[in-house]
Amino acid sequence: MNELIPLMVIVPLISALIISAFSKFNKVTKIFALIVAVCLPLIPLLSNYGLHYFGGYQPILDNVTNVVYHPAITYSFTFLQQVFIAMIGILTFLVVFVYLTKYRKVSGPYLFLLFLGTAAVTAMLLTDDIFHMFVFFEILALAQVGIVAASSIDYSYEMALKYMILGSIGSPIMLLGIGFLLAITGSVNVTDIAAAVHNGLVDIKSPVFLASLGLIFFGWLYASGFPPFHTIKSGIYSKAEPHGAALLQSFTVVSMISIVLIMIRIYSSLPIFEVFIVFFSILAMILGVSLALTQTDFRRMIGFLAVGELGFIGLGIGLGTQFAITAGLFQALNEIVITALLFIGFGAIVEATNEVDTRKLGGLLAYHPKVSLMLLLGGLAMAGVPPFNGFQSKLMLVQASLSCGFPELSILAIMVSIATFVVFVKTFYVMFLRPKPNDLEVEGKEVPRSMVFAMGILLIIILALGLFPDMVVNGISNFVGGIL
Amino acid sequence: MLDFVLMIIIILSAILALIQKDLLKAAILTGFSGGALAVLFQILLAPDVALTQAIVGAAIIPVFIALAVKKTQREDS
Amino acid sequence: MAQTQLAILLTSIALVVIGLYSAIFIDNIIKKIIGISFIEEGANLFIVAIGYKAGGVVPILMPGMDTSWFAANAAYPLPFGLVLTSIVIGASTLAVMLALVMVLYRRYGTLSTKVMLADTSKQEEYNE
Repeated sequence: MNELIPLMVIVPLISALIISAFSKFNKVTKIFALIVAVCLPLIPLLSNYGLHYFGGYQPILDNVTNVVYHPAITYSFTFLQQVFIAMIGILTFLVVFVYLTKYRKVSGPYLFLLFLGTAAVTAMLLTDDIFHMFVFFEILALAQVGIVAASSIDYSYEMALKYMILGSIGSPIMLLGIGFLLAITGSVNVTDIAAAVHNGLVDIKSPVFLASLGLIFFGWLYASGFPPFHTIKSGIYSKAEPHGAALLQSFTVVSMISIVLIMIRIYSSLPIFEVFIVFFSILAMILGVSLALTQTDFRRMIGFLAVGELGFIGLGIGLGTQFAITAGLFQALNEIVITALLFIGFGAIVEATNEVDTRKLGGLLAYHPKVSLMLLLGGLAMAGVPPFNGFQSKLMLVQASLSCGFPELSILAIMVSIATFVVFVKTFYVMFLRPKPNDLEVEGKEVPRSMVFAMGILLIIILALGLFPDMVVNGISNFVGGIL
Repeated sequence: MLDFVLMIIIILSAILALIQKDLLKAAILTGFSGGALAVLFQILLAPDVALTQAIVGAAIIPVFIALAVKKTQREDS
Repeated sequence: MAQTQLAILLTSIALVVIGLYSAIFIDNIIKKIIGISFIEEGANLFIVAIGYKAGGVVPILMPGMDTSWFAANAAYPLPFGLVLTSIVIGASTLAVMLALVMVLYRRYGTLSTKVMLADTSKQEEYNE
């Protein structure tokens, strides 16, 4: 049933257009959006693994040089894509559900942006064509800007414009890098480019090849919010609505791993590439956690923590062995779930108290016991406490860096984990455990039930991944073995 | 010969657009640069790209910028 | 005719550098956006120059053309297709940015980036 592979992109894209066109029929739009959101995680789970050639153009074998060319845009669907797309689908479903239950009158353009972003990251994961990836990278940037600008938080327009200006500097630079690769190899298909590089058709020490690495790397730094872009990335998380932020961080993680997987396949023979990745990851880990310590706006704090966690993914991928890359990708999967849980949970607190400054909060445990318990579990999972999934992936990362002969990196990773724990426990204490300040008025406002439901589902996934990590780790390991 | 002239036009109008005090003039000069780029694409054997660039670069982008200038302010202060 | 290709390369690099300069150093937001459109044009010009073949023909197969002669002489059409997409993306990005600028102008009454985009950082300082 390989016909389902393009449907993973087409369904959210088409339904986004339909919803924004017919958004004046409120009830129909709501039902339609919910049905599409349910379908999103189901399609990848039902589909078979395989390749899809758009237009049906099969690969051509050149008889003279014995090289295979891919004339069509190719989608390759394997276990890794299945897991990540299903996870994005579940998250989109939860976010759309929270959004639909929160507002009586839904906004068509906002749902359009949510589905557009989902379609874009799905295509970025699936595609085997570097220019196709770039196009959806741009669409994703537009969708992210829209989601930030649509929120009702102060200064969201300014943040959206800043992000957009940085993005429109970053993406032409990435396009130039793709142009350099195209000039060297004459192709935009990643498999073809990788084959040309590994067969020695390309001089890997030539300045043009190195320049293309630098330019694409810059675009990757922008997409994943590594330094120097960490401030703007955490800024857009804090300015988006909480459910929007939960989706935005998953977009960031997925676009990061999909670009870095393409870069690994092309540039893995250059040793400097891995050094670059490890360097920027360590920078992101340290900066993210230390900036999170100083924040008083807890949405901003979670934003910086999310950037710091991205550093762990980069660390695993930069180490470059099969085990390390598996650990990095598993960490990516865990981070999508955990950070989404934290954003939705803290969003629920904002909803109930209308306050984002941690210094003015306190004693909320008595008012919202369910939410605070789930937030505590999520925070422990992010810091890497057993039996949650964050522990499994961080343990794998530490083992990987030890076995690669970098014990200092594993010490650093453990220290950053401890710092994450400190940041989270400090915030948790200030917000929930200490006595309530006198001037804080907690009205008897209930947390929306849909948010509690979404957090429950995410917590179940966290526990399941933590107790049975083998069900994804083995598949990811096979995938990584295939691309190395 | 024409291509060198076009390249000079592109770069000159780009620089001139950025040093104008009047933003409307800057928008028009952006259109100059886009239009010259379209003709250059035609010389570079890409007629389809030239058509798109002629519409987008010489008409749509300057009009968008001019509309934004009309809704905001004309002087660069 | 390698001269032409070199000149085009220099032109595209010049466009990218002009655009980067204006996007980073010029204070007026509309000029910043104009500069960003120049970066995009530079990247497009570079990619089109990849496909160019000196003394070649337009890569459209007309009836009556000899196929092997065409294959040897036509320009490489793949970059042209990519640039088509990229031009349209650039225009739509520009439109969204200008729309955001128009909304923000109503709030601040100025086009200066220092005033318009500084408030978020001021608010952060206040928080700390």
